[in-house]
Amino acid sequence: MSEEIVRAEALKKTFTLSKKQQKIEKTGETRRIAVNGLSFSAYRGEIYGLLGPNGAGKTTTLRMLATLIRPDAGDAFICGHSVVKDPAKVRDEIGFMTSELKLEGFFTPDYLFDFFGAMHGVEKGVLQQRKRELFAKFGIDQFAEVQVKNLSTGMLQKVSLVISIVHDPSVVIFDEPTNGLDVLTAKVVTDFLAELKAMGKSIILSTHIFSLVEKLCDRVGIIFDGKMAAEGTLEEIAKGDLETSFFNLYHALKGETV
Amino acid sequence: MKLWSLMRKEFHRFFHDPRLIVTMLLPGIVIFLLYTFVGEAVHTEPEKQNYKVFLQGESVTTAYIQAAIEANGDTVEWLPVENEADAGAAVEAGEAAAIMTFSTHFDDVFTDLTKTDGTVSILYDPLNEAGSSFYAISNAVLQKIGMKFSIQAVSIASEEHIGREVMQQILPFIIVCFVFSACMSVTLESVAGEKERGTLSTILVTSAKRSQIALGKIVPLACISMLGALSSFLGVVFSMPKLMGISVNFLGGYQVGSYFLLLLLIISFVPLIVALISTISTAARSVKEASAYTSVLMILVMVISLVAAFLPAIGDWVIAIPVLNAVVFTQELLAGALPVWQSLVSVGVNLLYTAALVFVMTKMLSSEKIMFGK
Repeated sequence: MSEEIVRAEALKKTFTLSKKQQKIEKTGETRRIAVNGLSFSAYRGEIYGLLGPNGAGKTTTLRMLATLIRPDAGDAFICGHSVVKDPAKVRDEIGFMTSELKLEGFFTPDYLFDFFGAMHGVEKGVLQQRKRELFAKFGIDQFAEVQVKNLSTGMLQKVSLVISIVHDPSVVIFDEPTNGLDVLTAKVVTDFLAELKAMGKSIILSTHIFSLVEKLCDRVGIIFDGKMAAEGTLEEIAKGDLETSFFNLYHALKGETV
Repeated sequence: MKLWSLMRKEFHRFFHDPRLIVTMLLPGIVIFLLYTFVGEAVHTEPEKQNYKVFLQGESVTTAYIQAAIEANGDTVEWLPVENEADAGAAVEAGEAAAIMTFSTHFDDVFTDLTKTDGTVSILYDPLNEAGSSFYAISNAVLQKIGMKFSIQAVSIASEEHIGREVMQQILPFIIVCFVFSACMSVTLESVAGEKERGTLSTILVTSAKRSQIALGKIVPLACISMLGALSSFLGVVFSMPKLMGISVNFLGGYQVGSYFLLLLLIISFVPLIVALISTISTAARSVKEASAYTSVLMILVMVISLVAAFLPAIGDWVIAIPVLNAVVFTQELLAGALPVWQSLVSVGVNLLYTAALVFVMTKMLSSEKIMFGK
C-alpha cells in the first residue's frame, strides 16, 4: 500500500435545527448529527470517492477536511497536518472545489491565477511557469484576459479547476464535481481529475453518481446518515455492480427499499 | 398572475425574514431614542440671565425693556459708560451684553408726533448668547412701541466671525456625512457583496490568515474611502462660502498644527467607519441586509455628530467616544483652539477601536455560523 495522505479519525459534526426546519421535519430535536464518527484513509495517487445520498454528510465531511468548518469531535490529518490544530498548513496542502466557491466576475483568469497564487504564497517565478503550463494544457491561454463573467460555463469551470490547484496541492478535494454541469463541461472535469491522478495527486470527491465512481475512483466509502456503511476498492464494494450493491446495503442498514 | 407572484415573492422574502423586519423597525427606534436624548440635552432648563448693558443717553423705553426682561425671570443691570473703548471691549469679551445708545431728547418722540429724528443704537455680539438675546428683546419692545424713531443694530462680529461660527458648527457634520457615504459605497459591495456571491469563501480556502483577509479588506477600502471623502470635503470647503454668501476663506488663518490635527482626525475616523461597516457586512447574509444595518448606523453617527453642535463645552470624556471625539475636536480646531493632546489621544482611541473591529471581523471570518450559516 502506498503512503497514507488523508486520514479521518472519528469525525463528528452536529448542526442546530431552526424552528422552521423542526416544523417541516415534524421533530422536536434541536440538533442534527450530520457526520457521526466517520473514519477513512486515502493514499497518494488515488481517487477516493465518498458515495451517498443527499444529506448523508458528504459535503460536511469535505468541508471539515477543507477546514471551512471544525469538527465537534475527532480530527483529520492531511499530509500529517491536523485540520483542527493546524488549519493554515492543511489549506496549503489542499485544493478545494465546490459549486459554492465562486470567482469574482470582474477579474480575468490571468489576474485571479496570480491573486490566488499569492494567497497560497507561491513564488512569483514558479507561479508564472505554472500559469503558462496549466493555461496551455486546458486551453485557457486564449481567454486569459477575458473577464470571468464573460466566459462560457465550460471555460469558467476550467478556470475554477486550474485556480484550485494554483499552489500545486498534494490533495485535491472536490464536492460533487459534475453536479449541474452539461455533458461537455462534465467531461472537462472528469478528464481533469484523471489528469490530476496521473500527476500523482490524491483526490477525494463526493458524489451520488454511480457512473462517476465506477469511472474514476480507486476506492470508495459509502455513507448513510453520517456513518461509514462500507469501504474498500470498487471490486470489494461493488462485486460486479455498484448500484445494486449500494441499494442492497441501503436496505440492509435502513430496512427500507427504494 | 405573474406580476402578483413576483410581488408576493418580494413580500414573502421580507416578511418571512425576522432580520429584515428588525432592520425596518430599527431606524424608528434609534431615531426615537436619539432624538429623545438630543431633546433632553437641548431643552434643559436655561440658566437665569443677568444682562449687563451699558447705557448712553436716557429713555423711558428702558423701563419697558427691563419689564420685558424681568417678565422672563431674568434681570438687567444698566451700567454707565465711562469709557467707550472699555465698554466696547467688555461687549467683545462677552462680559457685557450690549451698549445701548439713545440720541439726545430721544423721548421727545412721545410728546411731539412730528419728530422723527430719534435714534437708538444697540451694539452687541450676535455670537454671544446674552448679546443676541438682549438685542432680540429690545428690538421687539421698541418695535411694539411703534413710534417714529430708528433702531440701529451694530454688530461687533465681522462677517468672517459669523461665517466661521457657522462653519464651525456645520463642517464637522458635513465631514462625517461625506466620510460615511464614501465608506459605505465601497465597503458594502466589497465585503457583503463578496460574501453573498461566494467569492469570499474562495479566499477562505487559501492559507491566508483570517486577520490578513480582514486587514486586506479594511486597509485598501479605508484608502479608497479616504480619497472619496477628501474629494467631497474639498468640494465643500471651496463651495460652501459661496453657497452661504460668505466671502471668507474660512480655513485661512489657522496654524499649520491645526491642519495637521484636522487631517489626523479624519485619517483616524475613516478606517474606523470602514471597519464598522465591514464588520456589519461580514455578519450580514446579503448586501440588502448589510445596507439596512448600515443605514441605522449612519443615522446614529450623524445624530451623534449633530449632538456635538447642540452641546457646548463637552468634557474631555468625549475622547473615549468614537466619532463624537473627532467631531468635537474638529469643531474646536475650527474655532481656532489647538486641542493637541485631546486630538492625538482621540486619534489613538479611534485606531484602537479600529483594531478591535479588525479583531472582531477576524473572529467572524473564522466563524462557520457567520460565514456558512451553520
